[in-house]
Amino acid sequence: MGMFVLRRVLSSVVVLFLCSVAVFVGVRALPGDPALIMAGESATPALLAAIRHQFGLDQPLPVQYIDYVTQALHGNFGISTTDQIPVSEILVQRIPVTLEIAVLAIIVGVLIGVPAGIISAVRQGRFADYVSNGFGLIGLSVPHFWLGLLAIWIFAVRLHFLPASGFVGLAEDPVENLRRMVLPAIVLGTGLSAVLMRQTRSALLGQLSEDYVRTARAKGLSHGAQIRHALRNSLTTVTTVLGLQLGALISGAVVTEQIFVIPGFGKLTIDSVLQRNYPVIEGVVMITVFGYVMVNLIVDLAYAWLDPRLRLSGGAR
Amino acid sequence: MTDMAVAVLPATTAITRGVRLRRRFLRRPMAVVGLVLVTLFLLLAIFGPLLTPDPLVQELTSAFAPPSAHHLLGTDDLGRDELARLASGARVSLVAGVLSTALAFLVGVPIGLASGYFRGWLDEVVMRLNDTVLAFPFLIFAVGFAAIFGASLRNVVIALAIGLLPSVVRITRGEALVLREQDFIGGAVADGARAGSIMFRYLLPNSVNALIVQATVAIPTGIVGEAALSFLGLGVQPPAPSWGLMLTSAQQFLVQAPQLAIYPGALIAVATLGFNLLGDGLRDVLDPKDRR
Amino acid sequence: MRTRLSLGLLVVAAVALTACSTPDATPGASSGGGGGGGTIVVALASDPGTIDPTLADTFDARVVFTSFCEKLYDANSQLQPVPQLASGLPTTSSDGLTVTIPLRTGIKFNDGTPFNADAVKTTLDRDMTMSGSARAREIAAIKTVSVLNPTTVRIKLKYPFSPLVAQLADRAGLIMSPTALTKLGAKFGDAPVCVGPFKYAGRVEGTSLSFVKAPDYYNASKVKAAGVTYKIITDPTTRADNLQSGDVQAAEQLDATDIPQLQSDNSLKIESISAISYEGISINISNAHGVSAPSGPVNTPLAKSPQLRQAFEMALDRNAMNKAVYNGAESVDCLPLPIQSPFRPANPDCTPYNPTVAKQMVAASGVKVPVPVSLMIPANSGVDRLAAVIQSMEAKAGFAVTIKSVEFTSALAAARAGNFDTFLIGWSGRLDPDGDLSDLVTTGGSNNFSGLNDQQLDSLVTQSAASSDPQVRKASYAKTLQRVQQLRPNIYLYHDRWYLGLSAKLTGVGYNTDGIPRFTTASLQS
Repeated sequence: MGMFVLRRVLSSVVVLFLCSVAVFVGVRALPGDPALIMAGESATPALLAAIRHQFGLDQPLPVQYIDYVTQALHGNFGISTTDQIPVSEILVQRIPVTLEIAVLAIIVGVLIGVPAGIISAVRQGRFADYVSNGFGLIGLSVPHFWLGLLAIWIFAVRLHFLPASGFVGLAEDPVENLRRMVLPAIVLGTGLSAVLMRQTRSALLGQLSEDYVRTARAKGLSHGAQIRHALRNSLTTVTTVLGLQLGALISGAVVTEQIFVIPGFGKLTIDSVLQRNYPVIEGVVMITVFGYVMVNLIVDLAYAWLDPRLRLSGGAR
Repeated sequence: MTDMAVAVLPATTAITRGVRLRRRFLRRPMAVVGLVLVTLFLLLAIFGPLLTPDPLVQELTSAFAPPSAHHLLGTDDLGRDELARLASGARVSLVAGVLSTALAFLVGVPIGLASGYFRGWLDEVVMRLNDTVLAFPFLIFAVGFAAIFGASLRNVVIALAIGLLPSVVRITRGEALVLREQDFIGGAVADGARAGSIMFRYLLPNSVNALIVQATVAIPTGIVGEAALSFLGLGVQPPAPSWGLMLTSAQQFLVQAPQLAIYPGALIAVATLGFNLLGDGLRDVLDPKDRR
Repeated sequence: MRTRLSLGLLVVAAVALTACSTPDATPGASSGGGGGGGTIVVALASDPGTIDPTLADTFDARVVFTSFCEKLYDANSQLQPVPQLASGLPTTSSDGLTVTIPLRTGIKFNDGTPFNADAVKTTLDRDMTMSGSARAREIAAIKTVSVLNPTTVRIKLKYPFSPLVAQLADRAGLIMSPTALTKLGAKFGDAPVCVGPFKYAGRVEGTSLSFVKAPDYYNASKVKAAGVTYKIITDPTTRADNLQSGDVQAAEQLDATDIPQLQSDNSLKIESISAISYEGISINISNAHGVSAPSGPVNTPLAKSPQLRQAFEMALDRNAMNKAVYNGAESVDCLPLPIQSPFRPANPDCTPYNPTVAKQMVAASGVKVPVPVSLMIPANSGVDRLAAVIQSMEAKAGFAVTIKSVEFTSALAAARAGNFDTFLIGWSGRLDPDGDLSDLVTTGGSNNFSGLNDQQLDSLVTQSAASSDPQVRKASYAKTLQRVQQLRPNIYLYHDRWYLGLSAKLTGVGYNTDGIPRFTTASLQS
């Protein structure tokens, strides 16, 4: 187990390093000069040079990279080139917003997906199974951005039931905040619930046919107890799915925030890319990757802990 | 030289196997529905643009026109024929889905085969790189890619192919890992077959089923990916029609013309649903490991 | 040094692009409070950046300045300068090199410091010399500033420069308290003190700025509101939502698409103005090696043939364009000068929309039809639909327009380098006509994308700026604009129309052609 943990941690560090280099080089490859954006209509060569110097853009690339990593390890991601606010400050404002959407979406996904998967597996081949399956397939097939538009059209435009867009801070007005987060969370959670439903169903069906469940059945265990038994083992599946879906969740958040105009991480990413705001892009992407790698590491370790067979084999993915 | 028949099943059984598979497929109504939807999508993408008016021609005075004999689905915000734009958008989707999948397979299959066959340090490196690509949430990667290389259909296809690559590599590698332990590979190695020949003449043909199933996952991912990127303004550029782009402009007119937001989205959903159903059916039929 | 310039300033369509700039509607914004206690809450379209008058370079800093920082001059609805801290219009010597400005007497800065000629000199000297000054270029014509007596300032110019008064009616005319300047130095922007109806009370970075009624203001009896709070809400629809819900009592730069719904709300008033900014198509005529290099021949049909350029403009139906793309919300125009400008010729000689003649001219040009034209547009700037309409209109005249969408700064760089045929781009506009022409159509100008190199036009632009008699200038600009239309470096399309939303309870808000809401005399009923 110790060896396995060490290997996973080491490989996470390697992945993080590769990503940091990729992000750094990728960001430098973006066309468009950030100094030109800042200087605007009155761009003179002297002004451009001064801006480049101020933001260290005139240093050689390796120097910029080392500088960046050293600073980043101290939690300092530089200063946003568009509004001169420290990137860390922006991140601190934006992270909770996206986390809130993500958590709400996961709640929506689990609350719909897991029960639907269980019902579908237990009632295999019956009406409830078909309904759940149909829901799962449609949930997988409808893209976020369309679901978002439909939700705005139905609930905001037609029914005037919920606001179409805009954001109110959780600390500022929790009720209004939730009212505005409902639609984005449902939109983002639907795809997740479909995946969860399908995976829960197939894991549960697999478990129900395993020997130990059959043995339990032979021993006269009640139907409910069998399912409880199998369900506990299906938890590993749910954990894995959540880990693997994190990337999709972040991608979905980018689109969802764009549609509902929520000042979260995803919108920050798109905006900073369009504005060539190097420090912000680096900060945003590195934090995303870091979070993603960490969650996967935790999921893997949790997985190994839940399923002893994997500890020995070294954790195949 | 070694005989191909060692690798694939004898021809006679192959025929009966084909018939059996077809029967098994046709017994699944959802799979058949998927096949029909995919066929309809292909017909729209291939023949639609030939049968509809020019999707770029504007009649500014008849913007937001309701359906008529002249414009079967009415017109959009600039008086362009909606059906024509949907049909051309279907072609863009098809190109994006199929080309990105093809590209990902072209690159990913050899890597996956080599990685699974040789194992060792190569496998280690490939899998770490694979994890790195996976670690980037796809859309954030694609946004950055489009920003660096410019927003165009070609770059969308490349970005999507890179995004699809890890799963292709993983699936192919998984197949190779299992197959390399099989007796007929051992036989081929004993006969002195070279690694390249083993990979492409033995491992590849026997992985085809898994790869076909993977393609039915990859193509709709490509279709949705293109639409999402175009929706964000980082894919196909206006005025070229793309379903994602049509949704972006429809968002502005949600109050006056909701149908403009409904048509393209519904088509994306239906095309994706078709591929998903088809994929589920094929998986049941072709890839018995996964069958429940 | 600190340099800030919001995208909104240089943008193509300022309003459209604001939607793309970093949203700073952050959690924890100061509560709107529903307007109780007479404090007016205003939804600002983007972060104003620094509010140090020497460094400020955003449109929204201009908006905020009107509440706490007055200028030597202000602009009236005809865009003419009227005295604010000055007591009358300047007098200019006959050689045009000495400008004398009389000042108000007996008034105080908001920290109690007396306002006088010394304070004006301190400010202007800082604007001219401070490192990173965004004002230095605007008042580059100034040689020295001297104090004639406590109520009169004398400015010596390097060359005759009549737009000076327009500059002093903009940010270069903002006067800072010398006491605060001594105390804060380069950090003046952290707690700025000026003469103004309200005084600076605090700022939550990226979220809000607050101001309270200033007891030292010379006109304090006219100021009704207890204070003004600017809340930064970058999304136009969210500004509209906040206005409707009563969280803010004023919202600037609303989206034209939200207007019909807001107008149907009885608790609101909507005001609109035609902005000084314009949108147009720059045609590369002789920008062969970049704007700063000597001009050279450009090998495109449009560059080579003035007739084709004329046909290109004739094919454009500005009204249909406005209706289809903007729901009729913009003010179509064929001149760069604002609709309200007193310097506009009475009957601008616009190229009429005539697709038939355009088609004949294209056919007669001898160039193979369809004539290929590449139209560069800044990506994600909201002009996609406009470009599609232009493409379709030009197709009818025989031009095959291909749209090339390029990331904004890359597009700007390509335009400066001369790597384009035509470029759909706007200009933020200036109060004085000189700011809409010089540097934009004059030889060697950094924004002269078309690479125009016409001595006649250059001297017309210089002459028009040199005269101090408005009638002479008007006549001179008529000739200048005629020359511009002949050469056709730019096809001007429209001026943006800006919308200000106000709560019906709010009265006395000034909303002028500069698009800046002023709350000096505003009052809020509870």
